[in-house]
Amino acid sequence: MQAEAAAHVPALEAHWGGGAAPFGATWQKTMMWIFIVTDGLLFSGLLCGYGFLRHVSPVPWPRQSEVFSIPFIALMTFILITSSMTMGTAVTAARLGDRKRALNNLVFTIVGGLCFLGCQAYEWSHLIHEGARLTGNPWGPPQFTQAFFVLTGFHGSHVLSGLVILTITAIRASMGKTPAQGVEMAGLYWHFVDLVWVFIFTLFYLL
Amino acid sequence: MSETTGNPYRIYRITWVILLIITTAMLGAEAFHLPRIFLIVFLLAFMMVKATMIGGNFMHLRYEKPSLAVMVAAGILVTSLILYSFISRESHYIAQRLSQ
Repeated sequence: MQAEAAAHVPALEAHWGGGAAPFGATWQKTMMWIFIVTDGLLFSGLLCGYGFLRHVSPVPWPRQSEVFSIPFIALMTFILITSSMTMGTAVTAARLGDRKRALNNLVFTIVGGLCFLGCQAYEWSHLIHEGARLTGNPWGPPQFTQAFFVLTGFHGSHVLSGLVILTITAIRASMGKTPAQGVEMAGLYWHFVDLVWVFIFTLFYLL
Repeated sequence: MSETTGNPYRIYRITWVILLIITTAMLGAEAFHLPRIFLIVFLLAFMMVKATMIGGNFMHLRYEKPSLAVMVAAGILVTSLILYSFISRESHYIAQRLSQ
């Protein structure tokens, strides 16, 4: 029994060992992941707050399909998922030294992000035109539009900052100044933005 | 990264297609007005599958050390569950008081 346990030690050490790199990653990547966890907790708090507001609302929560155009939101989701695919391709191309493919896919990702932001701007302006305000709306409790503006607003601001990061990365990559790891860090952030949208799309628009 | 042995970009295309299929299934479930409890379970399960695929395949967590994947998953999920469990109890209490 003891010998069996001892045999597992090297394997456990390989997976969980500490040392200079406890996560087996560079410090840049480790810090990026820690940032992503903390930013994820921000959205987690916002989504929990949305659940709270919805549960305590004395007025029935509006049916989302009667307020939003769900096919339009699905299009936004499609755009973001596609941009994540092109971002993943850019990261791998940068790692393999295929600069042209990396740059092309970075540009595709930026275009996808711009389309997503454009769709979000259209959705906001359309709803505001129909009477959506932080203080009230025609469909139900004011908490509904408060949650909508805060959740999608925070997410949209992350998309915007992601676009700035991607644009800088693409410009530097075109000059050969961005190492593969720089593209990977930008990619991690962009995928995180996509990941957050998965939760907002399900919990706010569909449930 | 093990995907470099074959077509290194294939994993992203496969993940993309699966994510689109799952998203379409979620939209279909919402459109067909499934019973509420089924809809909740169905959507939450598919949401977690999508999140796992994005984290694992797009963010390459499946190729990282388990300690990193556990730090990320536990850091976000466990903390969120703790927060939600407290908020959920509080919201039950407030909803009861408001209905009185």
